Amino acid sequence: MIPLPRIDPPLINASGILSYPEVFTAFESAGACLGGYVTKSVGPREKPGNDNPVVVYPPDGAVLNSLALPTQSAEDWERDLEEIKLKKAKLIVSVYGGDSLEFAEVTGRMSRFSDAIEVNLGCPNKEPGEQTIMESIGQNPALSAEVIERVRGETDKPVIAKLSPNSDYLAVAESCMNAGADALGCGNTLGPGLAVDIRSRAAILAGTTGGISGPALKPVNLRMTYEAYARFRCPIVAYGGIETWEDAVEYILAGASVLGIGTAFMRKSTHEAAALTREIWEGIQEYLDGEPMSAIIGAAHRSAEGGGSHA
Amino acid sequence: MRSVFKVVENRRESEWTHTIFFDAEIESQPGQFMMVWLPRLGEKPFTLSYPNAVTVKKAGAFTENLAALAPGDEIGLRGPLGQGYPPLKKPALIGGGVGIAELRLLALASEEPSFVLGGRTADEILFYEEFRELGPVHVATEDGALGHKGLVTELLPVEADSYAVCGPERMMAACLPKLPAERTYFAIERYMKCAVGLCGQCTCSGWRVCTDGPIFPAAAVAQMDDFGKRRRSKSGKWETI
Repeated sequence: MIPLPRIDPPLINASGILSYPEVFTAFESAGACLGGYVTKSVGPREKPGNDNPVVVYPPDGAVLNSLALPTQSAEDWERDLEEIKLKKAKLIVSVYGGDSLEFAEVTGRMSRFSDAIEVNLGCPNKEPGEQTIMESIGQNPALSAEVIERVRGETDKPVIAKLSPNSDYLAVAESCMNAGADALGCGNTLGPGLAVDIRSRAAILAGTTGGISGPALKPVNLRMTYEAYARFRCPIVAYGGIETWEDAVEYILAGASVLGIGTAFMRKSTHEAAALTREIWEGIQEYLDGEPMSAIIGAAHRSAEGGGSHA
Repeated sequence: MRSVFKVVENRRESEWTHTIFFDAEIESQPGQFMMVWLPRLGEKPFTLSYPNAVTVKKAGAFTENLAALAPGDEIGLRGPLGQGYPPLKKPALIGGGVGIAELRLLALASEEPSFVLGGRTADEILFYEEFRELGPVHVATEDGALGHKGLVTELLPVEADSYAVCGPERMMAACLPKLPAERTYFAIERYMKCAVGLCGQCTCSGWRVCTDGPIFPAAAVAQMDDFGKRRRSKSGKWETI
């Protein structure tokens, strides 16, 4: 297994959030405590994604998005990533495709720019007439393994298999680990869900349904993190409703070694978002009180077994 | 956050421009924006021209539909969003085309405003009579139908304590070197998707226009290599401005 790069601090943005290299450099210059940045998912060819509205948030209900993987072509992404000037943070490139060959093609183009490749197996959004990745690949252990195997063949960088909470994710994770994944991403957005406007009697999102993120997702992906760590004891990049240092610590205790922040950046300027990342990291450090983070990764399992320093 | 209102009036401002009034007054800071939602048709950013209205120029399917709304029709609004203008003293409000609409609420909130307005023809100089009651108005039209024949930038510099510029980006880029960086604000426009800082779509040199802007101080704008040059299209692919 190839170890994950040292992501220090172990906080990153979630894929599809912030998205572009120039936004990452703006965050880095604003003093964001993010040790790595994840691109939005890069696909093989240009795709506009859904029309607006693409997002719904409280008080309409839970946070839903239906961007449906807009992407410029992989060639245009190469030009963009050649320009990126991150000083210290690592770059993780998220990749997707319609089948394993497309995943491999994109990985081949992106590998040289990246410190790790995140394989998007679980996006629950689609443009009208498409199938989602979650439906076509992410729920199927054999097809997911085929994707990971081909991606593995195209890169010597660590490969993170990002799972859908709407799958038999332990079975999918097992086949991905056997196919050469180095880490698990726990996980993508949930659902998709639906939001309806009662006055116009219309579905709000132009794509009708959208993946659920934010606080509603946290207990689901926390459980996924916990179960995946119990089974595989592998590095886990966790996502889902991390808004405070307490949320982050819960995920670490469940088994995460890297924490992804997404919806918590909603309505925050770059300086406010950077301040949030600092608060989260400072909170984690205070909680650790001098202990290395590695000492508490998965500690919730040890306490369940009746041992461990935080039992 | 998102509410659906009834249209109460559709006021034709010119051949291409309409002001759509609805049955609610939105409290916003001048320069902040609303995502205007037409159920089943789409959602786009607009700045209020009145607390209860947006002014729209017909430029595509969505804006054609918006400009055609009749009393009783529904209009959805999400916002106000983003950072508006700080309070401005004796500002010169510099507007081009439909960007002039955004300056109306700022003018009403400012002491002793003056105006520098440009358009292709006299029809595009929105709120001309109303602005003349608030302060001096300098106009440039490309066809010479009203005021100076030529571009609005040819009227600069003008004397004022502060400056706010809202118009086509190439016009704003031409204004940038002619105005004092420490007292000038620009309203930047980009294709927006989420409009709440999540997706990164509306980046201008890494600043998310929806949450860091849309109003930016000139000193920041001067550091943005993309300003006046390029923006990301719906897929994320760069396009030239």
